[in-house]
Amino acid sequence: MKVMNGSRALGGVAAGLLAALTLSMGGGELRDLSDRVPREVGAFAAAGEDRTYDRKTLYDYMNGGAEVYLAFDFREVWTRPYADPGGRELALDVYDMGSPAEAFGVFSCDREDPEAGIGQASEYGFGLLRFWQGKFFVTVTASDEGEDVDEVILELGREVVKHLGPPGDGPDMLAFLPADGLRPDRTSYFHSSINLNNRFFVSSENILRLDRAADCVFAEYETGTEEEAFLLLVRYPDDGKAGSARGSFLAAYAPEAGEEGLARTEDGTWVFASRTGRFLAVVFQSPSPEWARRLVSSLRLPEK
Amino acid sequence: MNRSVTRRDFLKGTTSALLGASLAFGRERESAAKTRVVLVRRRDVLDEDSRIDADVLQDMLDEAAARLLDQPDGASAFRTLVKPGETVGIKTNVWSYLPTPPELEAAIKRRLVDAGIEAEKIGLDDHTVRTNPLFVNATSLINVRPCRTHYLAGMSGCLKNYIMFAESQEALHPDSCADLGAVFKLPQVRGKTRLNILCVLTPQFHGRGPHHFSRRYVWSYKGLLVGRDPVAVDAVGLRLIMAKRREVLGKAQELPPVPKHIQLADTRHGIGTSDPEAIELVKLGWDEDILI
Repeated sequence: MKVMNGSRALGGVAAGLLAALTLSMGGGELRDLSDRVPREVGAFAAAGEDRTYDRKTLYDYMNGGAEVYLAFDFREVWTRPYADPGGRELALDVYDMGSPAEAFGVFSCDREDPEAGIGQASEYGFGLLRFWQGKFFVTVTASDEGEDVDEVILELGREVVKHLGPPGDGPDMLAFLPADGLRPDRTSYFHSSINLNNRFFVSSENILRLDRAADCVFAEYETGTEEEAFLLLVRYPDDGKAGSARGSFLAAYAPEAGEEGLARTEDGTWVFASRTGRFLAVVFQSPSPEWARRLVSSLRLPEK
Repeated sequence: MNRSVTRRDFLKGTTSALLGASLAFGRERESAAKTRVVLVRRRDVLDEDSRIDADVLQDMLDEAAARLLDQPDGASAFRTLVKPGETVGIKTNVWSYLPTPPELEAAIKRRLVDAGIEAEKIGLDDHTVRTNPLFVNATSLINVRPCRTHYLAGMSGCLKNYIMFAESQEALHPDSCADLGAVFKLPQVRGKTRLNILCVLTPQFHGRGPHHFSRRYVWSYKGLLVGRDPVAVDAVGLRLIMAKRREVLGKAQELPPVPKHIQLADTRHGIGTSDPEAIELVKLGWDEDILI
């Protein structure tokens, strides 16, 4: 064992405390997780090196999924593989998404399973645990299923969340949505047309002119009929961009819509595009013009 | 800007035509002008645990190749594709969640040897095809991979399988990988692809999770799609994916993100046909739950 002199040892303790404090505040280095997350959970043990990938190297880690994260303010991901003596594998991924809103966003775009009670929101099913906490988004993925594996995955998630710091606030735009009929667990937040089309296909081209500067919430509403309706609310950087996006959308999607931006579509429902300042609201599959107008007028948009 | 395919095209029922994935494919339609794609299925190729019967799979490949090329058997069919003395690269796919089955790679290799290709002159590679001497020197290529959805490109099929030949894969990602067809015009590839095999033994029709893979969205279809034209093969593969999505996820999610690269490989890059009216789909074997 190396012997450190007093000042170096003190410096090391101080550095460790600082690292712990920073991580607990939600702004720390993901690499610190290597020392904190248990290397053994149930019959599973860490199997291989911990690794981190950033925006430039994420493609080295995943093929077919990197764009999901790059469409957000993804900073880096820390990964650790686990295996049990029988060769079953788990993969733990902790993503630093830059802010709690972005962490909520990547979580929200892909929800299908029941709540697992971990972090600020979570879901678990078929060997996949997903949750978010503060600016972190976490997944635990299993190569095989089974009740014992389910329990290990959930236990690992409960261990990890202890080291991710306090909760953070989700996107402010969630508060703009009318509450009546809203299905909160189906609301998504994102920036890119890639995310929109994976959530709800609109167009093969980026007719809404979405990019990283645009904030979007996509929400599902019960309508009192068998079919739900969908609301896309976009906040553009300025009024002009919102206006031109509305024009682009209507030209491509509903050229017959009049000045009001209302058109009946082939399934007998209605699409409605309305701009207020730098916000653009688009209602899809509305049961009637009145229903769409009422939903948009119920938006609680800020003054500026 | 290209003509957008929108949700309303889908509601009108014109999406499939726009994407080159029409329902209009017919069984055993005869037309010399059409691009032939063969779908072969066998119930017994997979057991209950999805283990592959290699002999059955070999029979499927032989049957499909023979029918595709109007030859009496698989060995004869492969002899029309390659000549003795050639170097042949089998462009496979090693994606860990759903790789090209080794049994299929072996079946292809066996028929190439039968056709007179020396075993040491057959390359099998994915990520290092740009530098692998067997691919650098290849005079013929066989393109084989499983069929699955892709978060960005919509579908990963025979067209996307060649992205490893590109100097920069990232450069092909913009606009939903619209220009994947351009890879087929690279010097290392142009004019060399003899056969495209889209493995639909266990296709993936929807993606989730960090790597866009979940076993719940893979099903035992027990088939192979085989053709000379990668665009036509992918157009049929897309139709299959859409049909399964409609069945399981509902009409509203029939489309994955639009795989525009399939249509553009035809209309922009001219490397094949995505026009459903110009594709002859030949169906062989087991037809239960065939979907297309």
